[in-house]
Amino acid sequence: MMKILQKVNIFALIMGGLFGFLMSRAGATTYDYHAKMFLFIDFQLMEVIVTAVVVAMIGVFLLKKFQVHSIATGEQVDFVKKPYQQGLILGAMLFGIGWGMTAACPGTIPAMMAEGKIGAIFTFAGLLLGTMAYGVLQTYIHHEHPTK
Amino acid sequence: MEISVWAGWIAGIAIGLFVISHFWLLGKPAGCSTGYGNLCGLMCRKIKFFRMGEYSNLNNSKLWFLIGIPLGGLVSALTSVDSWHLSFDMGMYDAILPQTYSAKAIWLIFGGMLLGFGARLAGACTTGHALVGGAMLNPPSLLAGVVFFGSALITTHLLFGL
Repeated sequence: MMKILQKVNIFALIMGGLFGFLMSRAGATTYDYHAKMFLFIDFQLMEVIVTAVVVAMIGVFLLKKFQVHSIATGEQVDFVKKPYQQGLILGAMLFGIGWGMTAACPGTIPAMMAEGKIGAIFTFAGLLLGTMAYGVLQTYIHHEHPTK
Repeated sequence: MEISVWAGWIAGIAIGLFVISHFWLLGKPAGCSTGYGNLCGLMCRKIKFFRMGEYSNLNNSKLWFLIGIPLGGLVSALTSVDSWHLSFDMGMYDAILPQTYSAKAIWLIFGGMLLGFGARLAGACTTGHALVGGAMLNPPSLLAGVVFFGSALITTHLLFGL
């Protein structure tokens, strides 16, 4: 029980809720905003992401400058960057096709289900299957079939 | 149902502040797609990949972040002008997607699989790479963000036949 109620997890739950709310209010959970952006009809989502990245960039700069410590862990904030990994470009291309097909991404799908969007339930199932497939592939490559 | 939407720049500032708050509160970058691996690990105990490395402890902040997202989506829907109701409407996409419910469902499952597999192969999704990685000016993330966007742009144009 103590493990489930860890402070970090409670903060994460709250931040997840905030994220879902903001994605929804930004229009990222509304199918048409995706099509309209890619077809150059309406740039709502482009405006959202560009503004968000600029604001976050300033914030990251300030957090680094003042060597801010995390509230949950007490340790200095870790600005760990995702490394380049083999398959990044292929993965990103597949992801983009999925984005174009479903007008959604992994972060918006849970919010879309809660908004009553039936389509999101199927996309969610697909997301789990796709993630599972990657795990199976990795397990097969590294464990069932170790390179000799 | 129709969700009430803020002006783009207001939502953008709010999401930027969210990214900063996430760093400050949790001490690490925000991300969404990794949490799907936690769910896979909880559902299927036999796949070793979801039992090791970043998945050695499945009851972590990635899982709880993902659980939080629908709560926020629900609050947004309940506070929208339109009242909450179930709907399979997909707006402009209804004109170009398969017309039967079952074919539409299969289409979405397939698209979702590409999202899930692609995100793991690329290491992160739109949030981890484009938003948070972009804010840190991380070169691999910027590359991934550009490819995400370019690929989705081409796909959407092919679908809508322009």
